[in-house]
Parts: sequence; structure tokens; C-alpha cells
Amino acid sequence: MKKFDYYQPESLNEAYRLMEENEGRARYIAGGTDIIWRIKQGVIKADALISLRRIRPLEGITRNGGLTLGSMALFRNIEKDSSIARDYPSLTQAVSILANPQVRNVATVGGNLCNGAPSADSVPPLMVLEAVLTIEGPGGRREVPIGNFFTGPGQSCMDRTEILTQIKIPKKVFNSGSAFLKKGRVSQDIAVVNAAAFLVMEGKICRKCRLAVGAVAPVPLRLTNIEEMVEGREIDPELLDRVGEMVERAVSPITDVRSTENWRRVMSGVLVKRAIQKAHKMVD
Amino acid sequence: MTDYSFIGKEIPRPDAPDKAAGKALYISDLVKPGMLYGKIKYSEHAHAKIKHIDTSKAEKLPGVRAVITGYNTPEIRIGFMKDNFALKKDKVRQFRDEVAAVAATDPEIAQEAVDLIKIEYEELPGVFTPEDALKEGAPLVHEVDPGGRPRKDNLIQLPWKWTEGDVEGAKQESAFIVEDHYQTQRVQQTCMGTAGCIAEFDLQSNLIIYSKTQIPYLAQNDFNQALVAMGLKGKSTRVIVPYLGGSFGTGLDTHGYEYITILLAYRTGRPVKILLSRAEEFSNLSPRQPSKTHIIQGCDKEGRLTFREVNMLLDNGAYTSWGATTPTVMLMPISTLYQVPNFFYNAKIVYTNNTYCQAMRGYGNPQATWAIESNMDQLAEKAGIDALDFRMINRNLPNTESFGFKITTCGLEDCIQSVGEKLKWREKRGKQKNKARGVGMASLFHTGGGCRIYRSDGTGIIMKLDDFGNVSVATGGIEMGQGFNSALAIATAESLGVTPDKVSVVFGDTATCPWDVGTHASRGAYTSCNAAIMAAEKAREKIFNLASEHFMSRVKSVLVKKKKKDPDFQMPDFDFESPRDPSEFELKENTVFLREEPDNPLLRISLGEFLRTAHFRNQGTMIVTEAFYDPNNGMLDPKTGKGNLSATYTWGAQGAEVEVDLETGEIKILNFVSANDVGKVINKQTLMGQFYGAAVMGFGYALSEEYKTDKGRNMNPNFLDYKIFSASDLDFPLHVELIETNDKEGPFGAKGVGEPGLVPTAPAIGNAIYDAIGVRIKSLPITPEKILAALKEKGKR
Amino acid sequence: MKKVIQFTLNGNEVSAELESHKMLLEVLRDTFEMTGTKEGCGQGECGTCTVIIDGVSIKSCLYPVFEVEGKSVTTIEGLVGEGGKLHPIQEAFVEKGGIQCGFCSPGMILSAKALLDETWTPSDNEIKRAISGNLCRCTGYVQIIDSIRDAATRLSNQDPK
Repeated sequence: MKKFDYYQPESLNEAYRLMEENEGRARYIAGGTDIIWRIKQGVIKADALISLRRIRPLEGITRNGGLTLGSMALFRNIEKDSSIARDYPSLTQAVSILANPQVRNVATVGGNLCNGAPSADSVPPLMVLEAVLTIEGPGGRREVPIGNFFTGPGQSCMDRTEILTQIKIPKKVFNSGSAFLKKGRVSQDIAVVNAAAFLVMEGKICRKCRLAVGAVAPVPLRLTNIEEMVEGREIDPELLDRVGEMVERAVSPITDVRSTENWRRVMSGVLVKRAIQKAHKMVD
Repeated sequence: MTDYSFIGKEIPRPDAPDKAAGKALYISDLVKPGMLYGKIKYSEHAHAKIKHIDTSKAEKLPGVRAVITGYNTPEIRIGFMKDNFALKKDKVRQFRDEVAAVAATDPEIAQEAVDLIKIEYEELPGVFTPEDALKEGAPLVHEVDPGGRPRKDNLIQLPWKWTEGDVEGAKQESAFIVEDHYQTQRVQQTCMGTAGCIAEFDLQSNLIIYSKTQIPYLAQNDFNQALVAMGLKGKSTRVIVPYLGGSFGTGLDTHGYEYITILLAYRTGRPVKILLSRAEEFSNLSPRQPSKTHIIQGCDKEGRLTFREVNMLLDNGAYTSWGATTPTVMLMPISTLYQVPNFFYNAKIVYTNNTYCQAMRGYGNPQATWAIESNMDQLAEKAGIDALDFRMINRNLPNTESFGFKITTCGLEDCIQSVGEKLKWREKRGKQKNKARGVGMASLFHTGGGCRIYRSDGTGIIMKLDDFGNVSVATGGIEMGQGFNSALAIATAESLGVTPDKVSVVFGDTATCPWDVGTHASRGAYTSCNAAIMAAEKAREKIFNLASEHFMSRVKSVLVKKKKKDPDFQMPDFDFESPRDPSEFELKENTVFLREEPDNPLLRISLGEFLRTAHFRNQGTMIVTEAFYDPNNGMLDPKTGKGNLSATYTWGAQGAEVEVDLETGEIKILNFVSANDVGKVINKQTLMGQFYGAAVMGFGYALSEEYKTDKGRNMNPNFLDYKIFSASDLDFPLHVELIETNDKEGPFGAKGVGEPGLVPTAPAIGNAIYDAIGVRIKSLPITPEKILAALKEKGKR
Repeated sequence: MKKVIQFTLNGNEVSAELESHKMLLEVLRDTFEMTGTKEGCGQGECGTCTVIIDGVSIKSCLYPVFEVEGKSVTTIEGLVGEGGKLHPIQEAFVEKGGIQCGFCSPGMILSAKALLDETWTPSDNEIKRAISGNLCRCTGYVQIIDSIRDAATRLSNQDPK
């Protein structure tokens, strides 16, 4: 295992200072479940790690009308929060099947986002819930809608000195429901395809639709033109079939050691359809 | 039926407490004073000439104590065909080839040194399928054979061709014939404890090696040969085996890393440990032999099988190990699973630049049964006969013989019926297509009474009783988690007359344990328990002989003491003087007593106390007995190809109910049954555990596991991308039924059962899928991708 | 870099000078010579390195050791009581066939403990979820699930004092 220094700042400013002092040789680390393995493999080079675990303000989960997740909020705590399960079921569903219990006990939502894997399970729900991310750095603070966060596989719009501090989700509206689905090779798996749907219904008509699918493109995808097609219509089998076909055309999956391009393409259509059906059932 | 004290019960295994407490020591836990750590440099190409190795930087790294290559160490040839080398020289033939190794004071330094070794290669074109390797002008993986003679092609000359009867004639007479092609993939044993060893030399240059092996004595022989190659002829090897973190066949051959450890230990004069990382366990150990099978079977109008013709093409990989000899076991189901009057079997084995393969649980039987049992369903369908009925028509019967395999007990009929019943076959087969649900089954036939693949199938036991009635049973067999120690302790207890808690099993040391050919082929408990029964009988004889001389005098002195203490005590009117016959005595539950008065408390002496009497006297004696059990079976005759490999055979049937998601191709198992003729249950708890574990390994083989390779490179050397089942995949009932046929060859009637539980799992599932959706996947694993593609082709989508 | 780290290990206050790049797993095994916790993959996939920190199960092969400062760590050795008395969960695994080769057992038992510290009436699904991050190649999980169910009963039947 390559050697690295390990710092544990207790404030954001201290973290920035350490990053500046260790310019070029350091990375931030959250739970570590992704980054440590990649350092062991030699895929990531870091001579110093700056842990964010002791920066208390980053840990919290706050209900304030909407939901504000500190970037260091543990998946375990998100999973157990009954108000999130009630108001944002797609997020709870994603978080409760992400990895396994031991990983969920240390992994953080911020770490999952900053790792930037196109298959990250927390991302599709956060996308359909239209989360806004707060990014802070020595130069100041900015808000970035999650749709603009990912710039490529494993890449985000943040620079090396910046830290993701908050994920803000708008207040739940009435007559809405959300759902998350995932396909893996066995039940304990990284997503071969994942998807989330969020609907606001008015009677039988869908007034607002948000759809996201992951692991089938260089970044997780919002399916905006399909959303537009669904809005204003009844959710019926014919619509769902059309959705499925459109999703298949919208994605650009690859064949890799996990699955084939074709299966991923077909699955994205199926999962988005089924996520809509499931979200529809969850509408209160 | 005999009333046993312990046989057939659920008894916690004796090694479980230490394992539960974290005290059991595995190879990864062992440390020796002054120990160095070894790491290996593997090839960067599938096929290349080695032009130059530069170890200078590695040698200079502080903490490095030795750097070895094939050029600065004596050549050690390994593998049963001696076509492999501990360290490669001149050329590399697969990505996992060991080219150099380092010993250093800690593993991180050793790895750093390995990374500093620079090797210049000249890449050569490689062959990655057996078909390509057989083409005219294909690059040769080995230019010369182990004898130095030039090779002309990549075909390995092994005599894997057997036939009986007249297959061509039978084809003419068949009413129905089905022909098809089936493939199986490479899968990895994925023991949770990775492989490793520690080697050290004593001051006389004898080798001691702590090895993760299932074959301590055969390994000892292999290592002794290595010592000869190292100029240490006449020196000996002691093999010590700690707890194995699983083995599943990985320990049935010796490996390059073991010889490298030995070379490093000799070079440095210090103990050296090499422990494989998980990635190395995947990429640099040998997986299960993959297969390509062309099968044709026929039957008459009544559904009786007329012939079975099987041709196999096997990708041997770059060197030869026990993957190449799987046809000798595949012969068993091919010739004998169901009554097959005429058969032909030919297996071609070809060198390629892929990883070489070795033994894995089931040893070829899963590969052959996949083809046979899938094709049986196809034939049943063509003949218009229900698949269960078809199997019943052709079921094997007890006390019959097939191609030299002597079938004694055979519970196949009961197993098939049990599966049919538990799956509600009649209600469901062919009747749930509208729900994309189906049921399917497959049977198995495997060795259950030892297996004479080597000239010996023998096992020794030494049984030693101490002054306290404790019994040590020394065995050359290996506990790898299958419950071997438990079975042996129970068999000893039952046959000797003590309780299992008094028995401790001593295993894993060639210096103190008697010879055993190896814990393979499901033979461990079968042979060792039979040997223990023999040794126990001898021990009882000694004890009863002693009793005939000393029992009554011991009773008398106890009573005299009692009288002294308590004057009111009435001395019973026993005959203390007449000579006694050994047959008057019995030993049960750690107590020696007179048969004619089993309940008289005054005529009972605890075994321990009695043995102290035996020791502490003039002309004392001890109770140590030994036995060597060699089953009544035979090797395959090189001329006829026939031989009764096993003294008895294990039978079974498995059935699955599945549901297919037509949109995704995903297969959901709804119900699974594994019914097995086990002869006799020795320890119900460990036996059930073997069948549960094997079934789940079978599910992986059928549905999710695949060692993926791209031009010889292993693409998924980790659990992230090599998918075995976790507990959350078991969302359906898994029933195990045990059927007892009480085989007279087996210890208490038991058969060996370590392997059979995964043999028919894949075809049971494949046949169920066909019942559900009319689509047959012919290559494993059966993935949603393949199902969807097949459904699309069938036009159902 | 090195730092003296103080933490509680199986109920005992311990401290050691540790290197910053080490994971908790190797520190437990090498520095503290507690070999019960195993390395099965080093990648956080197999669960044989599971230990409990402040009441929750974690994979020690990916846990930077500096993070353990001030925390309470329980390894499999910590479940064994005075006189070598096995914890009820360990006893259940022994009695119900939950152990074969034993390599996955320490991690499996600790994942079970993390569950049973939260509830003595877990459903079978909850049991499977709790051990979904612990791979076993030997048992096929059935008797492990039986063992955990049995452990739950043992714990609920225990004398409350």
C-alpha cells in the first residue's frame, strides 16, 4: 500500500489550509470506502489525505421544510430517517440497497457524489428531486444544481481545493411520489443500470415528471425530453411503452466486464418505466 | 436398524468454538520469528519471449534479502506432466506466469521491490481458444515436450477416449435422437481464506513447509523432488497444514508460489511467507476447467436410452494440472448416469495461452452433467415423454454394473421422486407458461466410496488413548471446513464406545500423522472413518484383553477401599478369582463394564481410570492402534479404460422452480430441492451444511459466476466483478432431503458427499427455464443478457 | 507520518504509535496481534474484516486507522468472556452449524451482533440484509441464518441482569 499522510481538520478553513500546504499531493477523503481501494490499486495517487470526518457541520440531516443533507451525512443515518422515507422514498430506497450495511455505516452521500461514478446509486433520486449542491472553497461558495455537477466519469465541476458541503432538496409537494430501482448481477452489486422517477400528479394526469438513469452514459442522465412527453398525460401502458422506447434511444451504454451495451439499453427503458409505475403508486 | 448413540444426530463440530472465537489459525495468521515476506512478479504478456530481466534496483532496496528468477535458481519442474516450471525462463505462456520473486522484511517492501524489477519481453502471437490453438500453423504454446522432443501442435496427448457397445448401430435403431452443443465457463473456487505458505529449512537443510494443501503426502513427494532439483537429494520435507479457509480443490496440486517460497527460504536461510492477495487468488491460481461439449443421445419409442455420444474440447491453458484429467471423472456420468447401453466419449485437450485449470469441487462432473441433463430434457421432449418420467424409465438400479462401475446401493429413484413431490411436479410442469414459470430437474452420479485416481486410495489412522480416557485420532486427511474432523470424531466415538467430546482429531502434519493419498473426490470422511472403525476395533480388543486380566481385580480394590471407609458397606458376592474372557466386557460412553450386568454401578469402571491401571503396573501396556483402509475399488485399466473407481457411488436429484421476467431476462428461483442418497447420515448438521453450501455454489455456476478473460488476461479478479451469492440472494426456500441406502462399504453405511451437491444444479435450473419460457440457454452462466437475446430470437418479445 | 492513537479495544484502553497509511485491519492483526479479524479481499467486498466501532459494523480493511482515535472497537476476540466463555451469538453459531471453514465467521458473527444489538426479533429478511456484506463460500448461508435466529432467542431469554 502506498504511503500517505493523514490529516483530520476540524473546520473547513483548516481543510483548505491543509490542501494548500499540500498542493498537488493531497485529496479530500470522506468515508473512504471508494478512495482507499483505488489508492491500493494504484489508480489514484495521493501522498496525503485530508479527512472531512471531524468537520461537524457537514454531518447533519436537517428537515427545514425541505431536506438539507450535510455532505458527510452517513448513508446509514439517511436510511434510518423515517421522515425521508415518508417524503422522499426514492432516496431511502437507493440508500438502503447501496453497497452493504458495513459500507453504509461509514460511506457518505457527499463521498458518493464526489466519487462521480456514473453508477452511483444516490444520484438518480437526487437528480429527480432536483437537489442543489453547495460547494465551498477558499475562494467562496457556490450553488450548483446536481444536473450540472457531473462532467464525466469520475469527474465533477469542483476543483481540487473545493469541498461539497450540502445537498439541498426542495420541500415535498402534495400528490407527489418518487421511486428508485436498480439492476445488478446479484443482489449485492454495483448498479449495472439504475433509475429514479419523481411525479406530481393531479388526479390521473401527471403534472410534473422528473426522470434519471445511471450507469448508461458517461454521467448520470436526466431525461428531459421524455419528462416533457410525460407531463400533461395519463400514466397508461401505451405511454409507458413509449417512454421505454425513448429511453433506449437516449442512453449510450457500453459493454464492459459487467454487462452488454444491449442489455443496459433495454434495461434503462424497463427501469425508467417501472420507476414511473412505482413512483405513481407512492403518490399520496 | 442399529440404534446408534451419535450417528445420525446433529452434533456441533469440535473445531467450531475456536473458529467462533477467532482463535483458529489459518495460513494468513501464522508468523515465525525472523520471517521474511515474499512477493511474485508475474508476466505482463500472455505469450512472449523473455529477453532480459533487470533486478538490480530491486536488489538494492533496503529490506530486500533475495531476488530470484528462473536464471539464478535451479530449474524445478512441476505438474503431473512436468511441463510447468516454478520460475519461468526463456518465455512466458500465460499472464500468470511467475517470472521473478522477492523476499523482504515486510510485504510492502517486497511489493515495492517487485515493481522495481524490469523485464524486457518480445511479444509473441498467442492462442486463446482451443479451436485457434488447433489451426494449422498456430503458434506453439510449448515448442518441446517435457522430454525435450519437438512438439508439432498444441494437442495434448492424453488417452481420453472410451466407448462401449455399438453407438453407430444404436443410432440406426433409435426412434428419437437429439444432438446439441453445450458450454461451461471457468469459475473460481473463491475460498474466503486466500492461498499461501511458509517455508523454512532446518539446520540440516530439511524443509518444513506450512501449506494450504489437501494432499500433504503427495505434496511432500512433490517438494522432495524439488529438493532433489535444488541439490538437496536425501533431505526430507515435513508438510504442516493449518486450518484452511476453504479449499474446494485448490489444494489438490502444488503451485508455483509454493516452490518459489521454498527457493526464497533456501536462498535467505530464513522462514519466508508468501500469501496471495485476493487479486492473485483470482488471477494466479487455477480455476475450474471450462468445456465445450457436443452431445448426441437417442432413445427408443418407449423412451429407453439407446446411446450417448459425447465429444469434448477442453482448453487446457498453458500448463497441465488437474483440469486436464477431469475426463476420467466425466467418464462416470457419461457412461453411467442413467442406463446407457452404448456410449462413446472423446475429450480433446489443447494448450492455449489462457490460465491453466485445476480441480474444483465436482471435478468435471458439473461440466458433463450440464450437457447430459440438458440434452436429456431435449430428448424427453422429442420423445413426447415427461422429463421426470423419462428419468424414471432410465434410472439406474441397485446392484448393477455399467462400464466397470459397480453400482451397489442406489437411491436415485427415491431422489427423483422426492424432487418431483417437493416441487409439485405434476401440478406445475408445463402448466405455468402463462406466468413465465417452470419447473425442471436433473440427477447426479458421483464417487461416494473413495476414488482410485491414483494407485493408492488409502488412508491411515493412528488411535491413541491416554490415562484419562481421551482419544487422539491422527489422520492424514484434512479438515477444510467440510466437517471431516467432526465425522471422524463421531465415527471414532461410536465405534470405540466413547463420547465425541473425548475425541480430538490430530491432522495436518506429515511427521506425526499417518499416510493418506489426499482429501479429494469426496473421500475424506469415508476412508478415514472406515480406518477409524478398524483402529477402534483393535483398540477395543486390547482394552477387553486387559479387562479380562485386570477388570475384576480393579473392581475388588475399589470395593475394599470403600469398605475401609464405610464399615457398614456390604461387599457384594462377586467372583473375583475366575479368569474372565474378553468377550464378557463392553465399552460404552467412556465406561468399561460387564455385559451381563450393564447397569450394576459396582461393575463399571471409567475408561480413563481403567487405563491408568493398565499403565501403572509392572509389564504395563498402552493402547495405541493403527489401521490402513484401502477401499475395494480400482483404477481405470489403461487398456480397457474400465475400472470401478469407487467402492460405492452417490446419487441425487435436484429440482428448481423458476420465474423469468420477460422484460429483463432475469431469473428468479422460487423453490429449490436437493435430494441425495448419502448412504447414512453421520453428522446431520455438517451433512446438511455440505449440501446447502454446494447448492449455493451451484447457483453461482448456473447464474452469476464467470472468470472473464480477454486474450488470456483475467478481467475480473475481485469480488466486485466476480459475483458469488450473498445471503440476500437466498430469497427462496432451499430444501435438502437426505435419503439413506445404508451401503455396506461405507462407515456405518455412509457415502462421501463433499462434492455431489453442486453437480446437477445448473441443468436443473436450465431445464426449469425451458419449461417456463421455451428457451434453452446452452452456455453457462445463464444470464439475463442471454435470456433476453434468446427470447428476442424466439420472437416472444 | 506517525501519531500516537488512543482508543478502546475490546473494553481496554490502548494506545500505539501508528502510521498514517495503515488501515485498522492490519493494525489489529499486526500491532495488536489479534488475528481473529481476517483479510479476505482488502477491498471491502467480502466482509471478513468486519469489526464493530461505536456500535456499528464497519469493514476494517478500508478504515484509515487514525479515524479510530477515541472510539470503541470490538473485535471477535472481544466477544469471548471470562474463562473463555463464548458470547451467546458465538454459542449459537457453534450449536447450529453456522461455521464450516470458519474464515468468514468472525466477520459474520460481528455483523450479526450489530443487528442483534438493535433488535432481538429480527425477521429472516432483516437477518439476510444484516449479513449481505459478508460472503461465505462454504455454508450457503442457511445455517448461518439459523444460527442468528437462535442467537436472537438466546439473547431474549437471557437473565436481564
